[in-house]
Amino acid sequence: MPATRIQSKPKSWLWGTLTSIRLTVFLLLILAAVAVIGTVVPQNQPPDQYFSRFGEVWGELLWRGGFTSVYFSPWFLGPISLLAMNILACVVHGLPQAVRRASQPLTGETALTLPERGQITWPAGVDPHALIGATLSRELGHYRLETLPDKEIYLRERGRCRPVGPYLIHIALLLILAGSLIGKFWGVDGQLPLDQGEVAGAFQVGSRVEKPLNFQVRLDHFQVSFYEPGGTPKEFRSDLTFIKDGREVWRGTCRVNEPVSFGGLTFYQSSYGTQATGPIRLKVQLGDLSQSMEAPFRRPLELPGGQGQVIPMRVDGDFRGYGPAVLLAFSPGSGHPQAFWVLQNHPELSEQPGPYRFTAESIPFGYYSVFQVKHDPGLWWVYGGFLLFLPGLYLAFFRPVERWALVLAKTPKGRWQGRLLGASPRQREEFADRQERLLMELKRGTAA
Amino acid sequence: MSSQILGAVMLIYLLAAILFLMAELWSSPRLPAAGRIMLWLGLGIHSAALLGRWVESYQLALAQSVPAALAEKLRLIIVYAPLSNFYESLIFFAWCLPALGLMAFRRYFKGYLVALVALLSTLLLAYASLGGVDSSIKPLMPALKSNWLLIHVVTAFLGYAAFALAFGTALLYLLQERRPRPSLPPLPLLDGLIYRTTVLGFLLLTLGIFTGAVWAETAWGRYWSWDPKETWSLITWFIYAALLHARHLKGWHGRRIAWLAVLGFMAVLFTYFGVSFLLSGLHSYLT
Repeated sequence: MPATRIQSKPKSWLWGTLTSIRLTVFLLLILAAVAVIGTVVPQNQPPDQYFSRFGEVWGELLWRGGFTSVYFSPWFLGPISLLAMNILACVVHGLPQAVRRASQPLTGETALTLPERGQITWPAGVDPHALIGATLSRELGHYRLETLPDKEIYLRERGRCRPVGPYLIHIALLLILAGSLIGKFWGVDGQLPLDQGEVAGAFQVGSRVEKPLNFQVRLDHFQVSFYEPGGTPKEFRSDLTFIKDGREVWRGTCRVNEPVSFGGLTFYQSSYGTQATGPIRLKVQLGDLSQSMEAPFRRPLELPGGQGQVIPMRVDGDFRGYGPAVLLAFSPGSGHPQAFWVLQNHPELSEQPGPYRFTAESIPFGYYSVFQVKHDPGLWWVYGGFLLFLPGLYLAFFRPVERWALVLAKTPKGRWQGRLLGASPRQREEFADRQERLLMELKRGTAA
Repeated sequence: MSSQILGAVMLIYLLAAILFLMAELWSSPRLPAAGRIMLWLGLGIHSAALLGRWVESYQLALAQSVPAALAEKLRLIIVYAPLSNFYESLIFFAWCLPALGLMAFRRYFKGYLVALVALLSTLLLAYASLGGVDSSIKPLMPALKSNWLLIHVVTAFLGYAAFALAFGTALLYLLQERRPRPSLPPLPLLDGLIYRTTVLGFLLLTLGIFTGAVWAETAWGRYWSWDPKETWSLITWFIYAALLHARHLKGWHGRRIAWLAVLGFMAVLFTYFGVSFLLSGLHSYLT
């Protein structure tokens, strides 16, 4: 029937390609190459960064080509989706057969086709049954006995489930990929900066979107402790109170590595920031004139002499280990504004454009807490994948596979004769050792 | 004090490497035995030095806060394992190589392979002590205070060590294939050994990635953030996955597998050194 053959051809070609190892290796190479680009090109930076770093032409190319967020671009998502289909096709293609093979125990009939490893003939009048039973139990473990009219077959097999191993691994990978997709589409992931005493009813998703919470969360107390002043932070912890319908429902302490969950969301102590808690006291010099002024945080301050204004943009409790500092943006009457740091304890380190000279007299600052807020329904899929991967790896690579059969029959002269059959596709050396030991033990009975 | 002990360990490994090399060149039966004793001795002192540093870190931690209950104490012990900065990781990597060789691949761990591995450990220790790497015990930053630290670092570096063994065996394979020598192990044995070490490394690298992901999830709420270290570990994982597929499904053996093992180890080295020095990210505290 030529018609059906023509119809089935493209389908089988597609199926053949989807299940081919060539496609897998090709995709792995592409994914690796794209991932290399992702580590060389800094990701998710503002566009001007790329232009200043890579030049006009390359910057434009990287930005427009999606390489600045490459793991979420078609360059990566395309091959990874194909890889997922490739894996799925291979699982569908091979799993049924693997399960069938794993569920069929070794029979006497198939055992007789195994290669022969040795022969033992016991002297007349010696019944080797007890010896065989004891030896096989000791060397191979639990065995089965099949009795045929003219012979008895002792059977032992290990690692029958091994063919399923690779499929468990690949199903685990699919679970991980599915989990990450579920998290991407049905999960939420955002940030919540909170000041001490502040109550929040929403958190930020992305740079501009606010997502409302169906409860309120209050930061009662936030503490950053250091091993030594100006040194490594030792711990940051936030004491949170969750409020629902005006009532305080639950309190929890959130630390790094110890997230808290409430109302289906998990709060992670991801970082902290510094902000001014009052106006910054600056000494402003212009020529011989010197004046002490209070500059409110993030508000413009007109400077004496009328040659411009200054805005305190940011404060840092410990700027590069040199103590408190403030970032000032100075706008002269005409021309571009300029930003520079002024250090309270090290005025000499500050490079200022002039004509004014600023020194910080006091920088009142406090810390605020930053939380990662998340709900990820795909997480357990991912963890499930992790858990399934390990037995899969064990079965596929570490489970010894051995099949043994000892065929016992009487020779025409009435003596007992045993033929040892067996095979092990992988662990050849261990198999050879065991074979030698088995034959030696069984032959021990022939000397008597 | 501990740095002087490690200096001695470095010399012992060097001596072991020389003994194994001489044993191969003059085919003497006694020298490998002496080399093996040297290697075990070095490993023993090395282990003691690691434990000593562990105790020291723990005592420094006790000066900061005294744990009340036994569970808290245990947690503090686990968290202060000496595996938290670049220097400590170098020392531990240097330990993993002979440890894995002597314990997991005892039967095949001889001749040029041991010389190569002992030399690699010597180089790592030399770099740790002479390369200007900060060896002081630093207090832990909050993100590192986790029970996952120990298992994550141990699995990752044992994995690196297994790949290093695969790399050494692959070099021997390529050498043996080009200019056969009777003193080198036969090609099929080397081929099988590349496979075994790679499989072990693959298991350990996978565990390292998984434990890292679970840790990142509890610390930052993200099991994967495309941090350069993560990405490069994934690239390494892809390369070894490709090796295993090529061998199992395409029947690749010998030279091509050996070259893949070499390529894989280059990726391992980049994941370890390159990412730490050239790219910044979540693992930057290492430097």
